[in-house]
Amino acid sequence: MGTERIVNKRRKFFQTSAALLGGTLLYSIIKPFEAIAQTEEEPTIDDKNLPLWGMGVDIESCIGCGKCAEACKIENKVPEEPFYFRTWVEQYTVKNDGEVKIESPNGGIGGLKQSVPDEDIFKSFMVPKLCNHCTKAPCVQACPVGATFISPDGVVLVDETYCIGCSYCIQACPYGARFMNPVTKVADKCTFCYHRITKGLEPACVEVCPTNARVFGDLRDKKGDLVKFLQDNPTQVLKPHLNTHSRVFYNGLSSEVK
Amino acid sequence: MEEHYQHLYEALSQVDGYIYPNEIDLHWGLMIVLYPYITGLVAGAFILASLERVFNIKALKPTYGIALLTALSFLFVATLPLVSHLQHPLRSYEIFMTPNPTSAMAIFGFVYLWYLMVVLLLEIWFDYRLDFVIWSKTSTGFKKLFYKVITLGINDTDEKSAKLDDKLGYFITVLGIPSAFLLHGYVGFIFGSIKANPWWSTVLMPVIFLFSAMVSGIALVMVIYMVVSWARKVKIDMLCLDTIAKYLFYILIIDFTLESLDQIHRLYEAEESFDIIKVLVGGKLNITLIYMQVLFGTIIPLSVIGFFQIYKPTEKIRKISYFFVGILVLIGIFFMRWNVVIGGQLFSKSLSGFTTFNAVYSGLEGYLMMAVWLILPLLILTFLLWLMPPWKKVSSHE
Amino acid sequence: MPKIIFRLFLSFVVFVSIFILIQRYLTPNSFGEYGHYRASAIDDNMLSVPFYKGEEECASCHQEVYDLKSADIHSGIRCESCHMPKIAASKDCKINPPKVEGSLNFCGQCHAINAGRLKKGVPTLNFKDHKGDQNCIECHNAHAPWELKE
Repeated sequence: MGTERIVNKRRKFFQTSAALLGGTLLYSIIKPFEAIAQTEEEPTIDDKNLPLWGMGVDIESCIGCGKCAEACKIENKVPEEPFYFRTWVEQYTVKNDGEVKIESPNGGIGGLKQSVPDEDIFKSFMVPKLCNHCTKAPCVQACPVGATFISPDGVVLVDETYCIGCSYCIQACPYGARFMNPVTKVADKCTFCYHRITKGLEPACVEVCPTNARVFGDLRDKKGDLVKFLQDNPTQVLKPHLNTHSRVFYNGLSSEVK
Repeated sequence: MEEHYQHLYEALSQVDGYIYPNEIDLHWGLMIVLYPYITGLVAGAFILASLERVFNIKALKPTYGIALLTALSFLFVATLPLVSHLQHPLRSYEIFMTPNPTSAMAIFGFVYLWYLMVVLLLEIWFDYRLDFVIWSKTSTGFKKLFYKVITLGINDTDEKSAKLDDKLGYFITVLGIPSAFLLHGYVGFIFGSIKANPWWSTVLMPVIFLFSAMVSGIALVMVIYMVVSWARKVKIDMLCLDTIAKYLFYILIIDFTLESLDQIHRLYEAEESFDIIKVLVGGKLNITLIYMQVLFGTIIPLSVIGFFQIYKPTEKIRKISYFFVGILVLIGIFFMRWNVVIGGQLFSKSLSGFTTFNAVYSGLEGYLMMAVWLILPLLILTFLLWLMPPWKKVSSHE
Repeated sequence: MPKIIFRLFLSFVVFVSIFILIQRYLTPNSFGEYGHYRASAIDDNMLSVPFYKGEEECASCHQEVYDLKSADIHSGIRCESCHMPKIAASKDCKINPPKVEGSLNFCGQCHAINAGRLKKGVPTLNFKDHKGDQNCIECHNAHAPWELKE
């Protein structure tokens, strides 16, 4: 009689503790997946009074002078070495035999120079690149501590005082737009010159572009330049198959562009 | 910093094709190769211990204690290469304070803690508690103090408490198996979930990581068991060794099948990224993938153990073969991690070119540091084996 | 409840409580206000001082040059496209004047022959065939390129 009671008690105890521990385990298993489910929804930005920044890039206008890449380095104090770029310009040259040559020496700073002999060229064009400020940013999804985020006005920013420097966001970015800043030792990237646009200025790259190949603006401003650019031109984003819903739109994007 | 730039200029001169300008630097180096390697050894060693306890494969009994202590020693070290690779190691606590729920990496701290505190430490504690009580009465000095403290003041030695220890230990082991799967499957997910990188982004990655973890952990315990036996000058239990080798064989087959499936799938689908991956495998990863991982790490071990399943040579030959097979498998799995981590960063996400990986010897990310992180767990294991030798245990689970 | 379980459970509770306390204490103040990040990081990103000042700043001292440029073909190009600022906007540009050499390399950034520059309205030419090694500004005024110097 007595032993039976103890056994019953013990059985009950095991059941409870098993349930408890099992619950904890289940929760820890489900937790990462719950996050995946969350990313299915678009991050909602409630305040419709805020701007929603974006950029249009006109490949048909870009002449590959590299002024934007240079200005970006000056404006944002990016180290001069040719391994760190918040924006850069690539030159694509499709040869007559179908081979595609892509070049961007020093990010295009100092002007891109044609390296393929004229007679071999089928066509050639320049593509400015920068952070695409994705609506579903893989870098923001990946950051383990919340040191990179989409600001309420739609700009992907880095919290320099909080970044632990794990480089996971750099691995997660499909566009190679992020780098590890050797001075601050945190992830660094294009901010659309957040310190300028919040003061009513244009980003430095837009400011210096001699051919207006870059159009910066508010996607919510129906009369703005950017909205007009999107209405007048057939635009495309980079790597659309990755479903990042980026906010940098290209006009004249050729299928060779990677 | 100048040295770092010099290093990058060298890499810049070796760029092949076109890569995005920010991709010249490989952001994840040797330390991140070590991270899945060491975590894998932990998960694998633990699963070998569970085979004995939960799946009741009694032949493996001599390795139970060694396997658990091996898992613990490597788990202690598992996070150190990770933290040392951070640009701001002092901020690493943030991963516990504000873990980003959408990040595949953020949960690692918690998975690690769960595994260390709830699974491994508890299981070992339940297994040893009675011995600690007994040993605390017979030993002196540091050992006595350690045994006294570690019992947490629970000094019962009666049969009832021993039974309870056994039951709880069993329960934790059962809990530990999904935890070990979680720990390493999860490490695979860190890579497998990066859609930007076609070399990593495969749904099979967690499963491949899991099975390669088991392979490496089993091989490690096999080698350590032999070394410990030789050092103690006791006879190696051949039935045990043959059984470990048999499981190594089975799991290696599964692992190899999965990895082949992954590659065949890529080959057959031949998506956009395939052109560059083909060049990667044939070129920059040729030695580490085809030779180190597949030939030495998989085919040769499989052939040797497979042959032993049909024809058993003398014990001596088997022992020596198992030892070398174990070492080969350990090297092979190391290069499997290398091929994933380094290989995934060698080609540009523009899929148009390659950078190079020039590892250094000195510094926090160099080969010397890697050697330290690989030797340190072995030293910890030696210490643990001295402190709580499984072969001197009085109590034993059923 | 057996003693062993009780003690372990107690240690677990103590451990978790300490963890939660530390977490409370170490989570930055504005964290989570808008999302999973420090809200004040937005302000941090606004802090730095712009280098590029804009044409109005330039015109406030160099109105004549600005007028000259605005009337000619280079009107669409902002001052600082060529005169890269060397100091932050809060300072006077006289401290470190943004001088430009009108060298072949400099003008070539836009005007050198490049297949990717065709049909874009920007004249490109082979400098060697044009005037050898002579610098562009020896004949052209960069602010009004078609006002040739004697």
